[in-house]
Amino acid sequence: MISVKSISKNFGDVKVLKNVSCDIKKGEKVVIIGPSGSGKSTLLRCMNLLEKPTGGEVWLEDKMITSADPYLHPELVLESATAKKLIAAGMESGAAADKIIAEKLLKKNEGRAFAAALSAYNAQNTIPLNLARQKMGMVFQHFNLFNNLTIMDNLTLAPVELKLKTKAEAKEKAEELLERIGLTDKANEYPSRLSGGQKQRIAIIRALAMEPEVMLFDEPTSALDPELVGEVLSVMRSLADEGMTMVVVTHEMNFAKNVATRVMFMADGVIAEEGTPEQIFTDPRHPRTRQFLHSVLNKD
Amino acid sequence: MFFENLSEIFTTPKYLDIFFNGLKLTFIISVGAAILGLFLGVIVALVKLTPKENKAMAIPRLICDVYITIVRGTPMALQLFIMAFVILTIRGFPQEITAIIAFGINSGAYVAENIRAGILSVDIGQTEAGRSLGLSSRITMTKIVIPQAIKNVIPAIGNELIALIKETSIVTMIGMQDLTAAAKNVGAGNNLASYFAPMVVAALFYLAIVYALTFAIKLIERRLRASDKR
Repeated sequence: MISVKSISKNFGDVKVLKNVSCDIKKGEKVVIIGPSGSGKSTLLRCMNLLEKPTGGEVWLEDKMITSADPYLHPELVLESATAKKLIAAGMESGAAADKIIAEKLLKKNEGRAFAAALSAYNAQNTIPLNLARQKMGMVFQHFNLFNNLTIMDNLTLAPVELKLKTKAEAKEKAEELLERIGLTDKANEYPSRLSGGQKQRIAIIRALAMEPEVMLFDEPTSALDPELVGEVLSVMRSLADEGMTMVVVTHEMNFAKNVATRVMFMADGVIAEEGTPEQIFTDPRHPRTRQFLHSVLNKD
Repeated sequence: MFFENLSEIFTTPKYLDIFFNGLKLTFIISVGAAILGLFLGVIVALVKLTPKENKAMAIPRLICDVYITIVRGTPMALQLFIMAFVILTIRGFPQEITAIIAFGINSGAYVAENIRAGILSVDIGQTEAGRSLGLSSRITMTKIVIPQAIKNVIPAIGNELIALIKETSIVTMIGMQDLTAAAKNVGAGNNLASYFAPMVVAALFYLAIVYALTFAIKLIERRLRASDKR
């Protein structure tokens, strides 16, 4: 469903993601854990391009969301002026491509043929970003409900503006979603009147109102009072039970244990270890994973 | 003496005429400059808010930066003199137009910074949430960010308009007969031959205008804040 192909992300000189690749398959519930600063939120935000990767590609099914990274395509690299120079100097074409990719030799201007090949590849494979985002729901740590709109308008704004539904259809869907989380009576309130847990549940169904194919959760319970965490997790759990594809960045280890089909442990900008929750929680192989789980599971 | 002069001002048609003509001129310049300033301010703010990656807007952004720097870095009186004696009046433009353009350009720079600050004060999470749903940046701006920014911008814009109205009094320096000049004129030797009462009258007029404007701004603010309370 989502393919992340060797993406890197630099904030200035800080390398937050280093050549990270992963595949999220339909129906999977992938939980990403790791110490803060390990790049897990950045990885999630790169999936829908809220953060623009410095290098690499993100694919949604068979369409590319980012523009092409030539270093991932030897056939594109061979169109470059640098490659032609190496080949003219007697290098074999395969070796020339390998050398350019390994040493990142492409310059800003690599000639007209290269630019044409690159833009042809982009034209053939990219999907408009806004279209891709409609299929990927996102839930934020700080809820980010639209403060100037009522709950009902929060839920119907995007489907109506994007002409996916008529106003009446969107309203019907919103009422159905509100009923599901038991907040029907809040439809005409503004977000400022809701508790954190209520806000986050509304944020989840706001994303669901777009009928996405995959849901991304960026630390959805980290900003909540402890007694409000349960209500949000139970909505997420029921969503998982319905078969929604989910990618969740969280510190809730029990959620990871019970709901995840795959757990990724990130440290220092790479996926240090991944596996089933049983394997990660009972038999972690990487010393960093062991150290991290030891410190979060034995808090007292 | 003061009260006699006061009653003389309000009973002599000549003095009343001078005051009302002055008031009219102050009003025309203020309204014209406010409209021009708001229009310029919105455009400059939007240009300055375009993302740095947008290379096509690099030159407009630079122009706006230079504009703001020059306008905020030089005295209003000097800007007015340049408009009058170098650019416009000297080429035959009416003085009213000169004043409106000079004050409008000046006000636009301040309004632009107020609007920019207001939009930046809206949490980036609001934009991210809008964009993550697949909304375009234009719809996110018009439906989510700007409605929230307006609430933050109105008080600052109100201050700017109040400052603008009072600042128009420097048109007396290029010989225009506004409300301040009217007070000076009425108090001169060939008229009342006393400045105290006419100055007080002019002050009261300014106060009344500013008070009315303050009241209007408060009403607008209260209506816009409705979504905070409910």
